[in-house]
Amino acid sequence: MVKKSYRKLKVAKDLTRMMSAYYAKMRIASRLQPVAWVSSGAPVEVLVALGVLPLYPENYGAILGTQRTAVPLIEEAEARGYSPDLCSYATGHLGSVFAPEKAPMKGLPKPDMLVASNNICGTVVKWYEALADHLDVPLFVLDTPYVHGTEIKDHAIQYVAAQMEAFVAWAEKQTGRRLRQKKFMRTLALSNEAVGLWRDIRELCIHRPSPLNAPDLFTQMAPIVVLRGTKQCVNHYHKLKAEVEERVEGGIGAVPGERYRLLWDNIAIWPGLFRFYHLFSRAGACFVCDTYTHAWSMGLQADDPIEGLARAYTAVYINMSLQTRTQMMVDMAKRFEVDGAVLHANRSCKPYSLGQHDFRRAIMAKAGVPAMILEADMCDTRAYADGAIKTRVEAFLEMLAG
Amino acid sequence: MTDRDSKPLKAMETLQEISAWPLAHWPERFPGARPFGYLNTHVPEEVLHAAGFTSMHVFGQRRAPQRAETRLPGFTCWLVRSALDMAMAGELDFLAGMAFAHTCDSVQALADIWRLAVPSVPVVTLGTPVDLYAVGAREFLIADLGLFRDQVATLAGCSVTDDDLRASIVLHNEIRRLVERLYALSDRLPSPALLAALRAGHLTPRETYRDLLANLLAALEADNDPVAPDAPRLIVVGAHLDDTSLYEAIVEAGGHVVDDLLDLGRLHYSKLADNGGDPLAALADRYLTQVPIAAKTHPRCRRDDALLDLVRARAADGVIFAPQKFCEPHGFDYVTIKNALDRADVPHLLVELEQAQVTGQMRTRLGAFVEMLS
Repeated sequence: MVKKSYRKLKVAKDLTRMMSAYYAKMRIASRLQPVAWVSSGAPVEVLVALGVLPLYPENYGAILGTQRTAVPLIEEAEARGYSPDLCSYATGHLGSVFAPEKAPMKGLPKPDMLVASNNICGTVVKWYEALADHLDVPLFVLDTPYVHGTEIKDHAIQYVAAQMEAFVAWAEKQTGRRLRQKKFMRTLALSNEAVGLWRDIRELCIHRPSPLNAPDLFTQMAPIVVLRGTKQCVNHYHKLKAEVEERVEGGIGAVPGERYRLLWDNIAIWPGLFRFYHLFSRAGACFVCDTYTHAWSMGLQADDPIEGLARAYTAVYINMSLQTRTQMMVDMAKRFEVDGAVLHANRSCKPYSLGQHDFRRAIMAKAGVPAMILEADMCDTRAYADGAIKTRVEAFLEMLAG
Repeated sequence: MTDRDSKPLKAMETLQEISAWPLAHWPERFPGARPFGYLNTHVPEEVLHAAGFTSMHVFGQRRAPQRAETRLPGFTCWLVRSALDMAMAGELDFLAGMAFAHTCDSVQALADIWRLAVPSVPVVTLGTPVDLYAVGAREFLIADLGLFRDQVATLAGCSVTDDDLRASIVLHNEIRRLVERLYALSDRLPSPALLAALRAGHLTPRETYRDLLANLLAALEADNDPVAPDAPRLIVVGAHLDDTSLYEAIVEAGGHVVDDLLDLGRLHYSKLADNGGDPLAALADRYLTQVPIAAKTHPRCRRDDALLDLVRARAADGVIFAPQKFCEPHGFDYVTIKNALDRADVPHLLVELEQAQVTGQMRTRLGAFVEMLS
């Protein structure tokens, strides 16, 4: 029996209820409104304003990971020729499409359309192409040029804005509905409000002790991903923010007796959401900041909504150069006064994992704290070497204690 | 061995020698040339050439990376690891610069890592649309090509005019026409020599390459004997090949490669660019009308359709997929194309390459596959 080493949030129950209702309702709602499967970096505000129900295969992949049900579905994809080296969100989700009878909730309700943006990776383009072929539904790819420098070039913004206009027209055609400006602006405002609240909540972890730990952030990020642009999402984050502020005022930390403050890089190790992160919290180590949940913190400019969307969706964290990300990570390490950093070399995610050796060097040199790279996978438990990871974490914690 | 092997053609010998020449010793092979490294097919060679450079593709090497292991995780493809390893060892310090065109997530990351790890070789990048049919793709690409030209010109220390570019387009179109003829004559060429000739096009000063190709074609056109008339006719699909060992193994297994859908093979040499008007627009239009590489997409120009057309046009008996291990775009693409081949009853075999090595097990599988087709 693992000793409880972190404090559960009161709103955790609300979140569970809300997300369960979201997934329970999706089947009914999917009969009443058009369904889009979208990548996490897709401009969902347009779809929400058009009354489309957006569903997130990546979030479904995270559920598979957390429930430790991904591997049999990944194997379904592998049996059809997909390599074990590919993204496990993609292969797990494709497995749920190929063999829904083996999938939690029997998979996601079938979509009427697919929307993918390469602002998070090139993999989603290939993944969604495969889905479009298999399901015979239309696909829109939003191309957001990678930002090698520090600034997004004007012609890149113009390019993405032109596609954004085309996306609106495409979505109107798919749904047979007109995008009403008032509804669209309201959706954008709700999206912005939720993003702002989420940013504020994460910033509150600057306090000592930190009111939240990585598993809190990883679970509480679900609404910003799947309910962005809705009132429900905003309401939830108001509640969460109030509870987190209460913790801060009361000096209550997520990890009792916080000894070490850590930075996390990359997608969560979902199958180890409690077991893996307990290795740290048991020793009083709290992940006070991370780059993953930071990805949904880019506000929209409301004056020109199309250009605002183009800019926000191009400036997604992982679409920025390693140099920009290094700077952001070092700044984060300093602002949150971390004692160390753990970088998850995620076999499933190359855009997130290539460059981590340079992040590690920069954190050590510029923030003056130790940093460790740990190889695992966000979903695929076959890539998680229990004994080796435990040994490395213990050695890292000993070094922090040193 | 074939008759052709016993009476080698001089031009073919030269192309094979260039293909096998160690990259680290490139300047000894081409003294006087100004080499500029590149990764991958979408780097506009015309711009580098117009600036007075010889573009040299950085292929992977056989030896295990050592220095790159301090910069990249083990689940990175061989090409990216190997290229960085050579650069970090100082073996590519002779390059005036290194050009990356946006393709996959790994090459995108390599461009950034290179800037940090190999400051001695400056990096230039080109953004290329991922959806070749996207609204605004042409305008974006023309603008980015303009910036690319400016970056290259700065490194060259000279301006790159539209006339320079047009002249370069003419040369590269000549090469593309010659390569098209080479493919048409692939029956008369040992498979490893075909691949070597294509690889050499990424390594040789282009005027020299054009002349070598022309000489090779003259010799091939004078001799119309097929080298392996009874061998099953194969098409190879993948990104690139670091050496000719796979083609040698295919020949040993009794097969003959008549064509390919390699990024650095048929796709690289296909489609001419317009040599009148705005040269950057011509380069952009060429890019947007090509069959997409695996990392790109085009809703109306599919890779599986292109391959099936090629299978029919070349009367191929089978297809060999040769992706690099850990290559995400080709990992997905394999299944889509495999399904299309299955529907069309075209036999195929997957040979996943790591360290560019053809293993004993691969040879056995190749042998069984070719035997099945015979």
